[in-house]
Amino acid sequence: MFRQSRAVLLVMAMAGSVSAQRIHYPTPGLPRTAEGKPNLAAPVPKAADGHPDLSGVWSPDSRPLQVIAPSESIPFQPWSAKLTEERADGARGMDDPAAYCVPGMPKLLVLPYPYKIAQVPGMMLMLYEGFTTFRQIFTDGRALPKDPQPSWLGYSVGRWEGDTFVVETIGVNERTWLDNAGRPHSDAMHLTERYTRKDFGHLDMQLTIDDPKAYTKPWSVSENATLMADTDLLEYICSEDNKDVPHLVGNGPQPSH
Amino acid sequence: MRLLLALLACATMLPAQWLNLPTRGVPRTKDGKPNLSAPAPRAANGKPDFSGIWALEHPPCPPEGCGDYLGGPEFLNMGVHLPGGLPYQPWAAELVKKRSADQGRDDPVAQCLPSGVVRILTFPPPRKIVQTPEEIVILSERDVTFRQIHTDGRPLPVDPSPSFNGFSVGKWEGDTLVVQTIGLRDTWIDRNGSPITEAAKLTERFRRVNYGRLEIELTVDDPKAYTKPWTVTLKQEIVLNTELLDYYCNDNEKDAQHVSAK
Repeated sequence: MFRQSRAVLLVMAMAGSVSAQRIHYPTPGLPRTAEGKPNLAAPVPKAADGHPDLSGVWSPDSRPLQVIAPSESIPFQPWSAKLTEERADGARGMDDPAAYCVPGMPKLLVLPYPYKIAQVPGMMLMLYEGFTTFRQIFTDGRALPKDPQPSWLGYSVGRWEGDTFVVETIGVNERTWLDNAGRPHSDAMHLTERYTRKDFGHLDMQLTIDDPKAYTKPWSVSENATLMADTDLLEYICSEDNKDVPHLVGNGPQPSH
Repeated sequence: MRLLLALLACATMLPAQWLNLPTRGVPRTKDGKPNLSAPAPRAANGKPDFSGIWALEHPPCPPEGCGDYLGGPEFLNMGVHLPGGLPYQPWAAELVKKRSADQGRDDPVAQCLPSGVVRILTFPPPRKIVQTPEEIVILSERDVTFRQIHTDGRPLPVDPSPSFNGFSVGKWEGDTLVVQTIGLRDTWIDRNGSPITEAAKLTERFRRVNYGRLEIELTVDDPKAYTKPWTVTLKQEIVLNTELLDYYCNDNEKDAQHVSAK
């Protein structure tokens, strides 16, 4: 028995060391230390327009449970607290759009998978390894639309406040969950992401959820990330061999409010 | 009944509530119309700029108007313009016959799997190209997904993990971007069920003919599935004053339980 479990552990350890066979290619332009290692403490790179350049492949530092924040720190309205409680025991697992491979905002921001930012004139393009999906954050000066058609990712515009890139998002449909714990939102949700590249290798992000119908006051969480040097995103196909769906119970994604 | 017809008529006039967002920087003729035959724009590094929203060229609309999503013929049959069609190996010809007879029930996209490297260029919903000096990203409205083409000079990897999009690198030959792709999985490349295998090597030659047109000359070299390499040109037309929508295949998906893929 003991020998067997050691063998299992060994196999698991090997699986960890070759996990997902990430591509290896030296990231162009990445500053290196004298011994050739990525210098993540090097200064923030600048885009042609003088703003910080957020481009790169980023790995979230800690989101093991894909839970946005502990319940006691969230200013629930009574109905959103009750709904979260109902969702907590898995009895409404089918209500989670991600169970159907539709991630939605802002759950996309609490996934543990890497994401890539491509900063181009007029747009901050976010490529997410989780679900192999993307968001376009328009930076061409357009305003948020007045009444956008509700969608899974909403409508996002971004602007610079000093060296911080500020993203505002509205128009997220009411079927998305904030996180795996099933925190809901209403059609009034207004999300603000604030990205600050601290140095070459570190990107801080603060997310503020302002949704007076679902929460008594705006609340914020931080999600920091570290640059993934010398590699790129993998293809993540949620629908492939998805064995979960037949086991889920509930009614399917519902408007939460 | 009349009410129903009226509703239907309204519905066709407001297909999917397309976003009306004026495209910036569109060249105009003297009378203010978009000048689609203006020269291709250039990126800051002097290379042609492929950025824009593109749809596969389709036959003219019928008098009653076009539907929402217009498919070009290559979406159904990649070899539609090749004399004799695609040069299938015998097993591939049999497979396509069977897949067509089965009405495509085993098509990966029927299970909401990715459209893959080729069909991301032919699906009726449009695609958007974002170009940086280091890469070209093809954003797909269908399933809100993307494909990357690295243009930073890196070589093709030796033995990449097979994937639906494969691994693509591009290099400029004059104003043409030549893209090579390997590392593909066995999948479908058209609705008829034409296959490609893991042995496939793809070469795409992207050329923006003018402001309004992007031509992608695709050569498929896959000796397992085809008796010889073959080449088709996928002509893309620019789509102005709109934006990609959220199209998630799995949203309210009701088909999979009825198609019973084997």
